[in-house]
Amino acid sequence: MEKNYRIVLTLLLGAAVFLFWLLCYPQALSYQEQNQLFLFTWDYLGERLSLPGGLADYLSEFLVQFFYYSWGGALVMALLAILLQRSLWWAARSAGRAGERSAYILTFIPSLLMLVYMGDVEVLVSFPSALLLSIALCPLFTGAGWHLLWLIPLGWWLTGAVIAVPVLVTVLTHWRSIREWGFLLYTALVFQAGHRLLSPQYPPKEAWFGINYYRLVETLPALQVVIPLVCVFCILVCGYGLRVRRPVLAGLLTTLVLAAGTFAGVRTTYDRDTFETLAYDYLIRHERYTDVLKRAQKYQPRNQVSACSVNFCLFMNGQLLSRMDDFYQCGTAGLVLPSIRDNLSDITSARLLWMMGMPNITLQYYFDLQESIQNGRKSGRFLSGMADCNIANGWYGPAEKYLDLLAHSLFYRRWAMEKKALIRNDALVSADPVYGYIRQVRFRDDFITVYDGLDLMMGILYNQNKNNFMAAEYYTAWQRLKKKEVQP
Amino acid sequence: MRRWLPALAGLLLLAACKGKTTYVETLPEIYPDYIGVTIPVDIAPMNFNLPEEYDKVYVKVTGSRGGELTARGGWADFPKKKWRRLTEQNAGGTLLFTVLGRRNGQWTQWRDFIMYVSEVPLSDYGITYRKIAPGYTTYSRIGLYQRDLHSFREEPIIESTLTPGQCVGCHTPNAARPSQFLFHLRGQHGATLIQQDGMREWVTTKTDSTIGNMAYCYWHPGGRWLAGSINPVRQSFWTGDERVIEVFDLASDIVIMDMKDHSLIVDPRLNTKEYFETSPVFTPDGLTLYFGRSEAHTVPAETELIRYDLMRASFNPETGRIGTIETVLPASGEGHSVTFPRPSYDGRWLMYNLADFSVFPIDHKEADLWLMDLETGETRPLEEVNSPFSESFHSWSSNSGWFLFCSRRDDGLYVQVYFSSIDPQGHCTKPFVLPQKNPRKYYHNTLYSFNVPDFTREKVQFDTRGVYREVFSDERVQASVKP
Repeated sequence: MEKNYRIVLTLLLGAAVFLFWLLCYPQALSYQEQNQLFLFTWDYLGERLSLPGGLADYLSEFLVQFFYYSWGGALVMALLAILLQRSLWWAARSAGRAGERSAYILTFIPSLLMLVYMGDVEVLVSFPSALLLSIALCPLFTGAGWHLLWLIPLGWWLTGAVIAVPVLVTVLTHWRSIREWGFLLYTALVFQAGHRLLSPQYPPKEAWFGINYYRLVETLPALQVVIPLVCVFCILVCGYGLRVRRPVLAGLLTTLVLAAGTFAGVRTTYDRDTFETLAYDYLIRHERYTDVLKRAQKYQPRNQVSACSVNFCLFMNGQLLSRMDDFYQCGTAGLVLPSIRDNLSDITSARLLWMMGMPNITLQYYFDLQESIQNGRKSGRFLSGMADCNIANGWYGPAEKYLDLLAHSLFYRRWAMEKKALIRNDALVSADPVYGYIRQVRFRDDFITVYDGLDLMMGILYNQNKNNFMAAEYYTAWQRLKKKEVQP
Repeated sequence: MRRWLPALAGLLLLAACKGKTTYVETLPEIYPDYIGVTIPVDIAPMNFNLPEEYDKVYVKVTGSRGGELTARGGWADFPKKKWRRLTEQNAGGTLLFTVLGRRNGQWTQWRDFIMYVSEVPLSDYGITYRKIAPGYTTYSRIGLYQRDLHSFREEPIIESTLTPGQCVGCHTPNAARPSQFLFHLRGQHGATLIQQDGMREWVTTKTDSTIGNMAYCYWHPGGRWLAGSINPVRQSFWTGDERVIEVFDLASDIVIMDMKDHSLIVDPRLNTKEYFETSPVFTPDGLTLYFGRSEAHTVPAETELIRYDLMRASFNPETGRIGTIETVLPASGEGHSVTFPRPSYDGRWLMYNLADFSVFPIDHKEADLWLMDLETGETRPLEEVNSPFSESFHSWSSNSGWFLFCSRRDDGLYVQVYFSSIDPQGHCTKPFVLPQKNPRKYYHNTLYSFNVPDFTREKVQFDTRGVYREVFSDERVQASVKP
């Protein structure tokens, strides 16, 4: 009975997490996927393992590639949540005499906190992966004795700073032993010495709080420290053999409190504008233009990225000029964004400039998007875009390089192999419906571009090729918005 | 006996191959193209690959002055110690390469080729360079590295991960001496790091009287003075399928910094609105300053009119003052632009870039290397080393017997470092690309270009401990203008 109760609760957690990511926030999964490029090469593995936490990072990137499909991402996240919770329970049992159902529910706290934390799309899956690995090591650590001398450095190398979790559990489980306290000091020494040895090109702070747990390297979110400490707390409390007088009632109450807390946490930590902006990008990536417009009718963030996305979807539905005034507008920058140094804003602009026949600016946008991924990772989506531009331009050397890299991935491989067949064969490229079209409509003259003259460039494209109605429509929309800017 | 085993195995393999080996009279298509290049003694093994369809390669190298070695496997990967011995033994001679490749189980043997081993040593430890993704305005990873030229060992000097949000500029040593160097850091906590004899200082070179921070710098051989151009750099993009980026300066001046008190000498003749002045370099005797100068034009509209002449000014190492200024090469009149003049350290040659226009030859396919004989003033294109793609930044080895340069000849975009030697008559040898353990894999997979490479006599000692704190503390030495 007790066991069934636990299994049901765990499965409920998995189902809830799965449905949350699949139905409520698939755009975040897509964002994670497009900010990395997992390659099946030994060099890639070596590069990851050269840093502390490398194994967790490698495993995480392996998993995140499945975020290419929303259901794949949701499944991975659900499995991580379940495994984190279950490993916590096993760790608690190994630390001491595990309590009953009222204690079991406590092991859900880190998974739920993780759900709240991952509302921040810059949290990398490396963090829950590393935490999971480190908690899984708890049973080994608590009984390891002097073997901790090599287990701690090894664990630090493989999982990173969260190796402090099993160390803390061990120390606090055997808190009367001076030796165990010595291991705490030893862990600090390992962190410091290991940092000098393995990651001297990272700030010391990163050695203590983890490299590649969070995409933005200058930031340390509080939950990145809080969640591991909560894990330690939960393991110890559960392991202590907590007993209450009315376990059923206590379990029920705790469940309700956790559910309400998670709901409130998710509501407060998920920024709505980011949520919507990511959703537009996700939907545009899957060519669901009408869905973008439906969402925008209910709520549209008042920023350039959303305006650009909505305008693009209007165009794709043949409604740009007729309906653009029904939606939020913010001048010409909301039609085509200038080059912005982040890894999201310019994606739609890159796509529409490509379709219009400006492969060089598209190439710049895709390059800058990729280089704006703050942890230095490459992107399958952006690299594909760069390859496209190079193929259209006949710059086959760089194109081949990008395609060969993509060919080592799982979900971009087929596309890359197809495109590689065209390389260095101008006739084939020109016969390709996409590249051929771009070659037809692109600029015939070579001149220097400036963002402020983008409307003139659209005009040139249309005058060159009267079939380029996209350039004509965007030109007209640009003029209309420009007028509004002058006469607000 | 053990020493002979590999050779014996090689001979057996060669013998085994012979039975079904097809001999062809053409040279093998090796990557990189090392056929007929001249190498220095003790350069890292010149490993190479056959085309991908060949799954096995067997190579025998025979020295004209004795010695031989073999390599076999997926690519020609020579053992480092044996390679070094062979090059030492054959200094001034040649190495003969016999190459066999296996495709679909069939072996092919090509015509043998040779590599020349120069008698002119390349005594420097290695080279330094920046690695950067070749593109546009944003760089997630950027770093300064040093590479041992006698092995494949590459080490970071500093990477942008240590200073998040800051862009690491190029490493500029004094005549390849690592005891005195600088690099710029750009961003919110930007500064110029100057390290002299192990001591670091972070200097803000922008003053109220100058238009920005120093960018392209060059040390005076005495070490007291630092010449630098101040260039607010911008870039625009071409619409066609021939060119990508155009980099230009909004303005450009030259100043001289006195390292004694970090004061700037601002000569009004090198700080004009009518001209852009850039790329200052001192001659090894320290008495002359070369630089480029162009008439100022509105950018980007008139970018194609920006053409630099090669200029020369006398320099007083006691006071740091500039004397008379004269035009050495009036390239603009002939529709050309001279950039990055670099005198050899023996004072014999001056190498520079020549493009149709612009200050930034790297993005100009037509940009080539030219050489001026400083004794006669004669100048000529270095046809021995130039290619249809851009040749750009270049540096001299400390003994001036070798030089390196950047080129995009491999795939048209990613910049690689090439080496060539020069004889007393100014003849250069066929260049070779920086050797790598597995060249095709390395160069094909990398998403980084080599940027502003330079020789370094010894290994650069740079302790990153404390750098993070220093960068973000914003404690800076403020440069002033010398009255």
